[in-house]
Amino acid sequence: MKIRSKEDVFIELIVSIILLVVFIITVYPFFYALIISFNNGIDAIRGGIFLWPRDFTTENYKAVFSSLRLLSAFFVSVLRTVIGTVTSVIFTGIVSYSLSHKELLFRKTYMNLIIFAMFFSGGLIPTFILFKNLHLLNSFWVYIIPYQFSVFNAIIMISFFREIPDAIKESVRIDGANELTIFFRIIVPISTPVFATIALFNGVFHWNSWFDSAFFVTDNKLKTLSFMLMDLIKQADMTRVMAATVSDYQRLDMQGSTTYTAETIRMATMMVVTIPIICIYPFLQKYFIKGIMLGSVKG
Amino acid sequence: MLKKTAFMKSFKKQFELQVFAIIGIIFLIIFSYIPMAGIIIAFKDYKLTSGLLGMFTSEWVGLKYFREFVNDINFTMVVRNTIAMSMLKLVFTFPIPILFAIALNEVGNQKVKRVVQTVSYLPHFISWVVVYGMIFSFFNQQNGLINQLLVKMGLISDSLLFLAEAEYFLPLVILSDIWKGMGWWAIIFLAAISSVDPCLYEAAIVDGAGRIRRIWNITLPSIKGTIIIVLILSLGNLLGGGLGGSNFDQAYLIGNKANFRASEILQTYTLRMGLAQGRFAYAAAIGLLQSVISVILIYSSNFFARKITGEGL
Repeated sequence: MKIRSKEDVFIELIVSIILLVVFIITVYPFFYALIISFNNGIDAIRGGIFLWPRDFTTENYKAVFSSLRLLSAFFVSVLRTVIGTVTSVIFTGIVSYSLSHKELLFRKTYMNLIIFAMFFSGGLIPTFILFKNLHLLNSFWVYIIPYQFSVFNAIIMISFFREIPDAIKESVRIDGANELTIFFRIIVPISTPVFATIALFNGVFHWNSWFDSAFFVTDNKLKTLSFMLMDLIKQADMTRVMAATVSDYQRLDMQGSTTYTAETIRMATMMVVTIPIICIYPFLQKYFIKGIMLGSVKG
Repeated sequence: MLKKTAFMKSFKKQFELQVFAIIGIIFLIIFSYIPMAGIIIAFKDYKLTSGLLGMFTSEWVGLKYFREFVNDINFTMVVRNTIAMSMLKLVFTFPIPILFAIALNEVGNQKVKRVVQTVSYLPHFISWVVVYGMIFSFFNQQNGLINQLLVKMGLISDSLLFLAEAEYFLPLVILSDIWKGMGWWAIIFLAAISSVDPCLYEAAIVDGAGRIRRIWNITLPSIKGTIIIVLILSLGNLLGGGLGGSNFDQAYLIGNKANFRASEILQTYTLRMGLAQGRFAYAAAIGLLQSVISVILIYSSNFFARKITGEGL
């Protein structure tokens, strides 16, 4: 029955080519950063490294992790990702849990306020003024507090919690449990997929953030790794744009060896920023399709 | 009186829940609604030293800052760049995930399909900073990969200034936007395609329709609704950069002092005027102008959504 016509063969050829091209252009930039990051920096200036490190070394990573600025940025990023994600998921979760009760008085008003805030925002300048007056500028907490209540996540959580039968909650309420106990003992365990999805997305968001670090924080000790990476690339970009003849790579003021250059340090930092994302990627994948579907149920 | 006590009774019963809800709403008011109200400084003579309340008590100056912006030497450039960037991204980036989803759907080998799809949405989770790093390593003038290859193939004798010349800015922006979002947005279209009734394809095969005809006459019409909804959503955030909302990240990161003639957009200009030069009210006026256009876009696209699909978004 199944006869492959010329058209079938043609389509399959085209599609195979498209897929191959997509595969290569998606993977190769990561791979390129990886091989340069494992190559001797001085050697890399000559170019011509396409598929494998020519002069293998781990010096670049050693240099990244011995640079006090990058190391501190790494810890700030880890800290903000962990604290920011855990607190925001719990806080948004508790608020969403209470808003998921149909009998909650003023529920309509609360929901309207939330939905309106999803579409409109005050923009950068008023936000900056607000942060300044709340003394959030130049403080670690500017990474945490403004993101505590996430409108978008709240809507996903509310639509999920609404499906939980009241009977489960009532049975515990009768035993005299308070709402927080119900939330942590009943709601969290049966909503693991939605919490996992939102925590993962939140974590990725925190890990990748550079904007707040660039404009709301001036203290170098509080900069995040994504910001530091941005700064490293911008510096290189500027040097080349402004003085195209500059041929020697400016070195970072770091101790030790001379085998690394600004370029290989950049690549190594890029990998340090990227690898955690790749590591949690299987989990992201497992949950995010569910997340998208949940979001579209009540969007 | 009876009504009031009944109210108090049910309020008391849900007291804990009300406390949580209200704390959440207070957060929302502080971090969303106060900045929203603060946008009125666009019409006021606001100085940073006058604090939070100063946003509401400082003196009115009417449309002074808007007039100033219209007469700004960079006005035409910034507006033109914003529109060019948004429109070109819509035109070139939007169709790619649809084509990619159709291509994925036509793959016979499920394993290949899964591997390619899994890989394809990885860039969505990578920060724009990393993407910028990749762009830099591929396109820089000194030893960028593309320049190396072009020189090696003898197509050019001297490296091209991809990152420093304004005419390369938009192509870089569009390509990186496609690279980052293609796999992710294809998920939605692929989901729509997979819900098409297989009987339709079988009937078409019986009628002698080939692969191309089936794509054109069954697959595409079946996902038309999804395409329209996604298109409307991207139109609503046109100035922000479509679905991914990437205009700011791209303009700020890929933009620099050398290619600013193409890369300076409303959002980066707001930032430069406000945070870098301290002209807060002026910057707020520019930001407000963009918000007003965006609101119009949101409402009109929502209006069309209602017309076409019968329900709002």
